[in-house]
Amino acid sequence: MRLQVPPGGATLQVMIQILKDMGVTEYEPRVINQMLEFTYRYVTTIIEDAKIYATHAKKSSVDADDIKLAIQCRMDQSFTSPPPRDFLLEVARQKNQTPLPLIKPYTGPRLPPDRYCLTAPNYRLKSIQKKVSSSAGRITVPRLSVSAVSSRPATPTLGTPSVQSVSSKVGTPVSLTGQRFTVQIPPPSQTASTKTTTASTPAVSNVLINPSLIGSKNILITTNMVSQNAGGDSLKRKHEEDDDYDAL
Amino acid sequence: MAAVQGGMVDAKDEADIKTEPASDGFGNNHANDSRLLSESPGSSAAAGNSKPAAGAPEDQQTLLAVLQFLRKNKLSESAEILRREAGLPEEVLDPKGADSAGSGLGGSADVDGGDASALLSRVTVPAPGGAKAPTKAGEDQPDVNVVLSAYSQQGDPALYQVYYNGLKKFIESVLDCHRAELSQVFYPLFVHMYLELVYNNHESEAKAFFERFSGDQECYYEDDLRILSGLTKKEHMRGNETLLDFRTSKFVLRISRDSYQLLKRHLQERQNNQIWNIIQEHLYIDIFDGMPRSKSQIDAMSGSLAGEAKREANKAKVYYGLLKEPEIELPLDDEDEEAENEEGKPKKKKPKKDSAGSKSKKQDPNAPSQTRIPLPELKDSDKLDKIMYMKESTKRIRLGPDNLPSICFYTFLNAYQGLTAVDVTDDSSLIAGGFADSTVRVWSVTPKKLRKVKTAADLNLIDKESDDVLERIMDDKTASESKCLYGHTGPVYGISFSPDRNYLLSSSEDGSVRLWSLLTFTCLVGYKGHNYPVWDTQFSPYGYYFVSGGHDRVARLWATDHHQPLRIFAGHLADVTCSRFHPNANYVATGSSDRAIRLWDVLTGNCVRILTGHKGPVHALAFSPNGKFLASGATDGRVLLWDIGHGLMVGELKGHTDTIYSLRFSRDGEILASGSMDNTVRLWDATKAFDDLETDDFTAATGHIHLQDNSQELLLGTYMTKSTPVIHLHFTRRNLLLAAGAYNP
Repeated sequence: MRLQVPPGGATLQVMIQILKDMGVTEYEPRVINQMLEFTYRYVTTIIEDAKIYATHAKKSSVDADDIKLAIQCRMDQSFTSPPPRDFLLEVARQKNQTPLPLIKPYTGPRLPPDRYCLTAPNYRLKSIQKKVSSSAGRITVPRLSVSAVSSRPATPTLGTPSVQSVSSKVGTPVSLTGQRFTVQIPPPSQTASTKTTTASTPAVSNVLINPSLIGSKNILITTNMVSQNAGGDSLKRKHEEDDDYDAL
Repeated sequence: MAAVQGGMVDAKDEADIKTEPASDGFGNNHANDSRLLSESPGSSAAAGNSKPAAGAPEDQQTLLAVLQFLRKNKLSESAEILRREAGLPEEVLDPKGADSAGSGLGGSADVDGGDASALLSRVTVPAPGGAKAPTKAGEDQPDVNVVLSAYSQQGDPALYQVYYNGLKKFIESVLDCHRAELSQVFYPLFVHMYLELVYNNHESEAKAFFERFSGDQECYYEDDLRILSGLTKKEHMRGNETLLDFRTSKFVLRISRDSYQLLKRHLQERQNNQIWNIIQEHLYIDIFDGMPRSKSQIDAMSGSLAGEAKREANKAKVYYGLLKEPEIELPLDDEDEEAENEEGKPKKKKPKKDSAGSKSKKQDPNAPSQTRIPLPELKDSDKLDKIMYMKESTKRIRLGPDNLPSICFYTFLNAYQGLTAVDVTDDSSLIAGGFADSTVRVWSVTPKKLRKVKTAADLNLIDKESDDVLERIMDDKTASESKCLYGHTGPVYGISFSPDRNYLLSSSEDGSVRLWSLLTFTCLVGYKGHNYPVWDTQFSPYGYYFVSGGHDRVARLWATDHHQPLRIFAGHLADVTCSRFHPNANYVATGSSDRAIRLWDVLTGNCVRILTGHKGPVHALAFSPNGKFLASGATDGRVLLWDIGHGLMVGELKGHTDTIYSLRFSRDGEILASGSMDNTVRLWDATKAFDDLETDDFTAATGHIHLQDNSQELLLGTYMTKSTPVIHLHFTRRNLLLAAGAYNP
């Protein structure tokens, strides 16, 4: 692979030549620009890393060893390669020794345990108990806001909302798409004894909010004794600050 | 000293001899001991393992290597004592000498160099104990062998060209019948010598060697050579797993006994038998008794990155028969007016459903037993599906050379070259496309729209006892022609519908395989295991299991209810580009970028067949409906037909001019359709291709395949599309051919 590098650099010609040497004959014209950009970014990253290593080694200038080290570190980081063959063979040998598991009949959809599935609701709604009495003429129904689920353990907050549950049904909240939101209200008083995984003994209460409040969407409120990751404190319920993820 | 790793008794004795003299008042005894121990058992073990023929010379070489090592480290007294004890002559220690005495010097120089960490990492990887991959060479300690071969210099680098040239001249001078076979040696020898030079940091010699001899190699190795040409330093090799595997695995050649004797005699009678050493180290020569093969026969089978397949690799019994279909009674209200006189009668055999020739009364000897691998039981919905299937199959058109199928082409417009995968359900009601923008889109082929299941609240309100409950659970408000599934974070390279049409699998460059529900059109599970792009995935014909293959060079077998794979099929040298289930779900075929196809047994995870012959990465695989044959297509534009039972190539279909991305047999196996990047669909006569085959033990043993050059006769039709590469083919149950591709002006 002979490359005559013109003295000025002429990186475009160099790149075209490289592509030709590697056997790439058909490519869109923008590919060269992309390759050049990548090259520029890669080289500057390496040289910057090498400079850091050189200063760390208290050398006055960057030399080949620094560059080599920079390349090696970058390669382990960004351009990882698949595991070596002997390792794969060993892993395969171990895995292939276990017999195929028997299939239980009549089990419905065969899915892994829920914690490995993506079927849990990926959001939680918290209710904001704003100062309801503060402003006159305000509707006294608590405003509900949507917040994302976080896995931080948090203390259960506020007291009971003024809207009580109409009926409680037990059922798993299936988070289907559609025009439905699931709003969770912290149930009145919780003890930390329940250590539940998803969808076991949820207490669901369905409340229908006055549609005129929220536009045309129906809101289904459920309370749930669910914790997203089963472990530790059961009540990883909300929640954090009041002011994030504000209103609907 | 007791913990000698895999060494022979001789190794122990040698170690004893060496350490005693060394303990005569030297400061770094223990350091010596440990280094000696690590080197000598390693080398002698490796020596003992690799070549059965040469026992004493290998020990000799080991001793010399150790001697060199001692001298290098200025341990002259211990070196002297060793030399006296072992009886080594003085002049053998010439570093420029023709035997591997030089290896010790080179070896120790490198050990002392900055690669101690590499050495350690190699040696400390646990060597597999008993079980090895059945395909590659039986080295008990590949790591130590790696070390030795890595650091041993077989002679002077400057003389490599001379050695190669000498061999070249010799082979050109032999008889014609042997020349073709012996020419097989050129390519692996060339690559290994080149890599040897690069690994030992002889950059200029490597470049000169490459320039001189790369032009002589076979044309189909061109891509490999181009990659090699860019590799001039040892550091370049580090990230390239494929090349590292190539270095450590043995290239398999099949040569007849006569040719082999010729070669051996020639190489051993000369004084510098460097090439013989290299051959012994890096090549595995599978000898067969019989006539030498002709060039065309060899060309047909060669091309893979690991050479051909050893005879033992293709010896295991493969149960290629189909599983017995369960008996299902036809419903009483069958409105089919065909002559179905078995209606409503229990325990009657079904009408002709599968003319695969499997005897329905007794067990097919070539079929696996029903319980060989656990399969899900049939639910009621499955039974209904089967009944539909049987009804449809009675209306199936029989295809043949004079009755070609109609082809219906589904063109994906406005995909902007982003269409990367397509799949169609078995009953042809849904078509799904995977795109480079990481979305998956599902369309309904029939006028019936796609609907989602109602939400939980609404589901509680419907009448569960009504007959059309399956209709009532669908929410008509969500009806649409197509649905888009979001979730992946990289281009989607593989798609597969489940046989019961409830699930869709997609595999993507982000390393995960996702299971989507087609009732709610949401993602249910993400299977993480490959950490690298997953190129292909497929559900098993009975559902529940699926296979995926990716860049990490393994294929994995999963079950939908396990978050980790059940089986790992490791053995390929390069990425697994295509993975397909056998119709009886007991075997998985994988095609790879190392240009070989492997057939794996699901029950044990072993590789039962290795099929070589393609000259480019394999991108398409298709099993014939009767389970006996496999068709494969690759970037070289050829379709190869294989007899799975014997593991032999039985046909070659030439015609396409570009990569073949899709292959499909018609429902009864009479026609093979192939779609390619050259914008054509070609139909081939499969019944004729598989007719009167002469495969017997002799051909299996020697690889003397006789391929007829009848591609033209077998080609039944070529259908061109308007600049649309064909990436998927599907025969409906009535033998209408559907094809799919993205318009690419």
